[in-house]
Parts: sequence; structure tokens; C-alpha cells
Amino acid sequence: MSQSLDRDLVLTVNGIAYPVSVDHGRNLLSVLRTEVGLTGTKEGCDDCECGACMVLLDGQPVNSCSYLAAQAVGREITTVEGMVRDGELHPIQRNLLEEGGVQCGFCTPGMIMSATALLARTPDPTDEDIRIGLSGNLCRCTGYAKIIAAVRRTAADLRGE
Amino acid sequence: MTVTEPRPTNDAPRPRFVRADGPDKVTGTGRYTADLTLTGVLAAKFRYADHTHARITRLDVSAARSMPGVLAVLTADDVPDVRYGPFVQDRTLFARDVVRFEGEIVAAVAATTAEIAQRAVDAIVVEYEPLPVVTDLEAALAADSPLVHEGWESYGSADPIVRDRNDASFSSITKGDPDAAMAAADLVVTSRYVADASHAAPIEPRAVLAQWEGDKVTIWTSTQVPYDARAGVCETLELPANRVRIIVPHLGGGFGGKCGFHYEAHVAALARAARRPVRLVFSRREEFLAPDRRREGMVIDITTGLRRDGTIVARTGWIAIDNGAYTADSGFFPQLAAMHVAGPYRIPNVRVEAHLVYTNHQPSGSVRAPTAPQACWALESHTDELARAVGMDPVAIRKLNAVDTGAEGPSGQTYDEIGLQQCIDAATAAAGYGGELPDDEAIGVAIGWWPSFSAPSGAYVRIDGDGSGQIITGAQECGTGAVMTLRQLAADELGMQPEDFQLIYQDTSVAPYDMGATGSQTLFNNGRAVVAAAGQVAEQLKQLAAEQLEASPADIVLADGQAHVAGTPSRSVPITELAGIAAGGELLIGHGSGQPPGAPPLVGSSCVGDVGMAAFIAPQFSCHAVRVKLDRDTGVARVLEVSTAHDSGTILNPVGAHGQVEGGVLMGIGQALTEGTRYDDDGRQRNAAMLEYKLQTCADAPTIRTTFIEIPTPDAGPRGAKGLAEAPNVATAAAISNAIAAIVGRPVRQLPMTAERVWETIADAAEAAAQDGVAS
Repeated sequence: MSQSLDRDLVLTVNGIAYPVSVDHGRNLLSVLRTEVGLTGTKEGCDDCECGACMVLLDGQPVNSCSYLAAQAVGREITTVEGMVRDGELHPIQRNLLEEGGVQCGFCTPGMIMSATALLARTPDPTDEDIRIGLSGNLCRCTGYAKIIAAVRRTAADLRGE
Repeated sequence: MTVTEPRPTNDAPRPRFVRADGPDKVTGTGRYTADLTLTGVLAAKFRYADHTHARITRLDVSAARSMPGVLAVLTADDVPDVRYGPFVQDRTLFARDVVRFEGEIVAAVAATTAEIAQRAVDAIVVEYEPLPVVTDLEAALAADSPLVHEGWESYGSADPIVRDRNDASFSSITKGDPDAAMAAADLVVTSRYVADASHAAPIEPRAVLAQWEGDKVTIWTSTQVPYDARAGVCETLELPANRVRIIVPHLGGGFGGKCGFHYEAHVAALARAARRPVRLVFSRREEFLAPDRRREGMVIDITTGLRRDGTIVARTGWIAIDNGAYTADSGFFPQLAAMHVAGPYRIPNVRVEAHLVYTNHQPSGSVRAPTAPQACWALESHTDELARAVGMDPVAIRKLNAVDTGAEGPSGQTYDEIGLQQCIDAATAAAGYGGELPDDEAIGVAIGWWPSFSAPSGAYVRIDGDGSGQIITGAQECGTGAVMTLRQLAADELGMQPEDFQLIYQDTSVAPYDMGATGSQTLFNNGRAVVAAAGQVAEQLKQLAAEQLEASPADIVLADGQAHVAGTPSRSVPITELAGIAAGGELLIGHGSGQPPGAPPLVGSSCVGDVGMAAFIAPQFSCHAVRVKLDRDTGVARVLEVSTAHDSGTILNPVGAHGQVEGGVLMGIGQALTEGTRYDDDGRQRNAAMLEYKLQTCADAPTIRTTFIEIPTPDAGPRGAKGLAEAPNVATAAAISNAIAAIVGRPVRQLPMTAERVWETIADAAEAAAQDGVAS
């Protein structure tokens, strides 16, 4: 067997520092799911095609399947598990439920992260903005209509309307 | 049975439905199979065939077995020699002597890491003698074609299945005298349409985790049909049902792709051999290549005879369906495809013949409304050709010929209350059909149908001492929300709230049988079971309340969490109090199944290879009207708006129902325009990745309007509900085809109607027009 290429890293996920020892070639997705132990972030294709693995890096959406864990050192990683604050669902989570934007739920965590990034940079999005903003996240169940409605409603909620 | 309860209309206020599994799913706490692990778990990898058709001349796993970290390597020699298959027993867990498609499993490895397992898989030595590859459907049916299964005659098969060489299942529907009627018709129109294969493509790739404890195995798996998966494990590993427990964590979509029995037995066999838990997680590429659940490619010939007024007098059809290398649950496809080529029309003279053809492609299996989107696309494109031939409006010719309440359909079934004509009116009105449009836009219209599937199904309902309830059901949730809706049914029976119930589901050792998330059957059948189970508990509660209130049980009403005397709401006792009393005596436990509705009679028709698909129980109907914009220079079609109307009986969960239609429509748009599997000459998939096999994205999604036609439905599910999840997938591609044909002047004859194919059709139309100009 080849010698270990593991590196000691510290990843900051949802505000908590996690020391991990992983091969330098490991992608962020697998380290989040295995060493960090947060399985909310999903693997749908391992090729940047489906968006199920979307996380935020310093607020920017990233397909974690195609991003090295080592590149995330020193940056704030946010996953779906970090969206609940003080025991309360984030408005995008609540609105996805109430609008019926969740079916099988496998795309939902990635969809939540993309929507969060979209609303951070575009607080008052048009429907077209929402369609483009979520176009990197495949959903096979919903036809997207109720997801778009949930994002639209969340934008209004976050603006205090 | 006639449903007599009042039915809410589309406008009636209904409580907002929030699914019980929703909080798990939006917070990331919900576990899917690939999220699970066990101490000591090993990783599984498969060695797939290196050829699409070849005889194995040497298989040597010794190098793989001796690699450090490898704890099990299995081939056909290491499992019972069992041929299995629900309709034709033509396959084995591992290839025996011959491989017949690129995703066939030759060997399986379990090792301490996935990387070691992969290296071991690569170290397995397999040598082959290539055999002739069969990929063309018509050539495969020729008498001199090479056989995909040389030993086909020795295979067992289900009784009604009619087989011959590469024809794995033949079916026909015949009614009247189609030859004489065709000869007497004013006009005869013949069309050929070809549909490429496509994929269910759920976003969750499948995963299986198996662990033995003594002689019992627990298998966590991403299946839509846990009891089928259990039956497959029991059959292939020769185990009794009570030693195999299938548990399905949250399921990340299926669309039929996760129906049937897949890799549960391979992983269980690895775990037994390795004496360790074993986990298999598919890559996206494996998800495309390996499962026996591709949507089948088809060749469809249709001929229709008409009178000049547009009345259809005869139809004949010939269908070849690509079965792929093995017969999964596809044995019933020919008869179902024949029904969809005959169509929901009043046709007195019919003969449709359909063949399920072995090839060296990946096996086909039920993907959302199997055979229907392709066959409907062909038939409804053909119907617009009929309209053009007689100079009629496409909607008018459908109104004239479509079935209605009391009419006889093409297989000799006379329909009770159905809403197809209302669907046509509602969808076309919502679309603004007939209005002015720019010359690069058109509205295409298509109608579709789909049966409800009647099957045995079971559930338990219990109320514990604190008054909280549990529904323990065999039903499987694949995302549709059908299982979630069961809480509403139990609550209504017991005068309680849906939130008073927890759902215990997706565990074969805990709940009674259900067919699974397949055939749109969950509410139709398991709803009946839950209502029956809750009804038993209701009788128990009424008995207890009668004793408390000194009244007759027949006079007790359960409502708003109370049991009260009819007409005297003040004489009441809380259900929680009754539950407390019951906890000290006879416990509140109900079990239910109920009698599944029987098949309606067929009169005047005859069917060869009859698997029961020519009689539609509680048939569902739909009309889709789609506005399409076409770029003539590039052939790119864009769907702008979709207006749908569905008769799926009573809608019990409007949010979920609209979600089913919207998702089905978008899948239909994908099938229409972008989703098609491309093969090389050896039958290998060339676009087994999501960039090359393009699903519709949020940016592609049009506005979708839906009207539900809710009419009384005899012999339906609970409260007059029919199935729903598959029906929205039937007519969309057909309606898009008709919009494109309206703009171009002729239909695109191959599915998907990619930009290249549309562009070629435009060019052909222009060339034909130029030649007409020269000729005149």
C-alpha cells in the first residue's frame, strides 16, 4: 500500500470547527458526509451536474462534490443543517413545506443552499431571477413550480413584507 | 360500490397540507439509504460485462480474492442457481456463461474501502467469445435473427405470456372486423413513429446496506417496492420471507426506476460471505447503465380508417417494444402499449399487435406510466394527422371520437362516469385554444388515459393510552405524498386530526403487505386498507363511548376529538379519555385490507397474451394543451405554457395532486425534447451522464395550470379517488408534438424531438413544399 497522504485540516461548518485528517485529494462532500458526519448534503452525480451537494462557502454556492476539502480551510462552510436557528426553521425551509415544494426531498438541501445564496445577492428577485438562480439544481419530482413559489414567498418574508 | 359522500369542488377551501416527513427533509436530518452506515461496514463494487453479448470463456477471481482488504468475491458459482423474473424467468443474479448487456453483473466484491473494492473488481480476469449483438427491433423478430437467449424455450414464464424466440411477450387486442372496416373507410391514414429509450433518473442514486444477525438479514434499500425486493431476495437466496427484513429509509425519488428487485440479494450475499455488513452506493453512471428499469424504446405503426366527417371506423397497429436483455416487469407492456395505441376512442373495429423484443440493450422496466408517453405521443400525433387529412380541427376530431360516460372503448369496455370530454373542454379553455398566436407559436392538444391498479394492501391503526395514534402501513412513500395523505383518511374516520397520527411505514417485518410505490396505487389500495383499519378502531371507540354515555353504539358520532351522541353534542366524552379506558382493557387496534375492486367486463373483444391490461379499473383521463414557441432556424422548441385537465376522481390532497401533475408534465417535456438514450452499434449507452442526458431545469420550466375534473367514480379508491402519479406523464410529449407539427406542417417522427430532428423535419417540409411548387 502507498504511504498515507492524509492531512490534518480544520473545517468550520455551520460555525463549529471540526478537526479532520483526510487524504488531500478528498472532496468536500465526502468529508462533510463521512468525517464531519453531516449527511444532509447529498450526492446525486459526483460531477457538478445535479446540485444536490450544494453548500455555501463564505456565502457563495459551491458544488461540494467537485471542491477539495483542503480548499475550504479557513472559510465558513454552511450546510442545510446550519439553516435552523434557535430551533426555528429558516423561512425558505418553512415555505418549501407550506408551498408543497418538497416531494422526495433529495434535491431539497441543495435547493435550499442555492436559494439562500440567490436571496442574499438578489433580495427582490423576479421569477426569471429565481429560475436562473436555481438552474444548477435538478429536481425530478416537483416541476419546480412550488419551489419557485417558495423562494418568491421567502424573498418577501426576508424583506419583512 | 357507488360513492355517495359529498365531494369538494376545486373552489372549496381545504386545509393546507404539510407533509409529515417534510421537516426531516428540509433540515437534512432525514436519512436516505446512502446516509446510513454500520460498524464494520464494507464497500461493495460490481464487475460488469465487458461486452454487450458474449460467452464467458474464462472467469478468474483468484487475484481479487487474495488482495488485502478484500473479504468477499462472488460469482454465479457462489449463489443458488435460480432463474428469476416476474413474467419470464430469464435471468440470474450473476451472469452464467453468457453476458447480454453492458450492465450485466459478472462478479461482486466487498472490501474494507471502496477504492480497494474497485481495485479488486479490476483484478478479476474475464475472457469472452463475442456473440452477434442484437439491437434492431424489427431485425430481431426475423426468423433468422441471432437469439439473445438461446435457451428461451427452457425458461419458465407466467401463464398468460406468449413467447417466441426473441419475442418475450406478444399481445393483441382485436374487436370487430378491422380489415373490412378499413376497406370500406372513406380515408385511410398510416403513420410510423419511433421512440428512443429514456430513463427515470431519480436524483438519488440507489443504495443498499445489508447486515446478517444469525440466520436473519436486514436490508436497508432505496426501493419503491419493499415487498417485491423481499420476494426477490427470498427467491434468489432461497430464504423464507420471515428471515428477510426490508427497511426503506427516506427514498430519493423513483419514478418506477426503483421498482422491482435490484441489488438487495447481491449485497445480502456479499454480507453473508464476508460476515460483515456491506453497503452498495451507485454512481450516477451505474444508475444509467445497470438497473433493469429503462423506459423502453418503441417502433409504432398505426393505421386508421375514417369517414369524411372525421368519425373513426377502424384502427390497426403494430408495436415493437425494446425489452432489452432480460424481462423485468415488462411482460405486461405489450398489452398496455396496445391499449395506448388504440387510445381512449370509440372505435368499433380494432386490431393492435405488440411484441416485447429481446435486444442486447439494458433491460426495460416500469418507468412512470410505462409505454404510455411514447404510445400516446405516436397515437396523438397520428390523430392530428387524421384531423389534417379530413380538414378538421384537432380538438373537434377528439371531441367527436373520444370516449365518454356510457361509451364503449376500443377493448370492449363500457365506461361508467368518466370525465374525458370535460377534460378536453377545461384544458383547451384554460390554454386559450383557438386564439391568435404569433406564427412561430402554436398550441398542441393531446388526450391520454391510464388505469387505476387494484391490488391487495394492508394496514394497522392503533390508538395508545394517551390518545395518540399510529398508522402502521405496508405502503411506500417515494415523494408523492400518498403515504402522507393516509393520516387524513384515518383522522376523518376517527374524528381526530392528521397530526394525531404517526406513520410507521417502509418496513416489511412490521407492516402488512402493500404493492409499493408503483402503479399510482398507494391511496387507491392502501387508503382503502387504512379506512378499514381505522373503521375497526372507530367501532371500538363507539362501543366504549356508548357505555360511558349510556347510548347505543349506533348513535355515537366521532368528531373533533370527541365521541358524542348524535344530535346531542353536549353528551360527549373525549377520545383521549376512551383511549385511557381501553389501555386498561381491550386495546384499540384495527387491521384493514378490504376487497380490491374487480376488473370491469370486456364485451366483443379478444386478447392474446392477456395480462389483464385491456380492462381499465377506475380509468383516469387527461387532456394537455401546450403552447410552444419554435425557432425555425435552429429547431429549438420552447414550451411556454401547459394547461392540463385531469380526471383522477376525487382529489384528497390538492397540494400533492398539483405537485404530481407539475412534476409529470416537466418529465413529459424532457421526454419530448431532450431525454433520449443514444446507443452505439454494440448497444452501449453513449450519454450515460446528466450533462449528456439532459433533464429539464428550473430555467426550462413553463407555467403549468391544472384543473381537476372531480366526478363520481364507481369502483374507485377511498372517497372516489383514482390513481394520479403516472397519468400526468402521459399526454405532454404528444401535445408538444402537435404544437411543433402545427408550426412546421408535419410531425417529427422520432422521440425525443431534439432540435436536430425538428430542424431536419423543417428542412424536409421545405423541400417537399419546393417540389410541390415545381410540380405545379
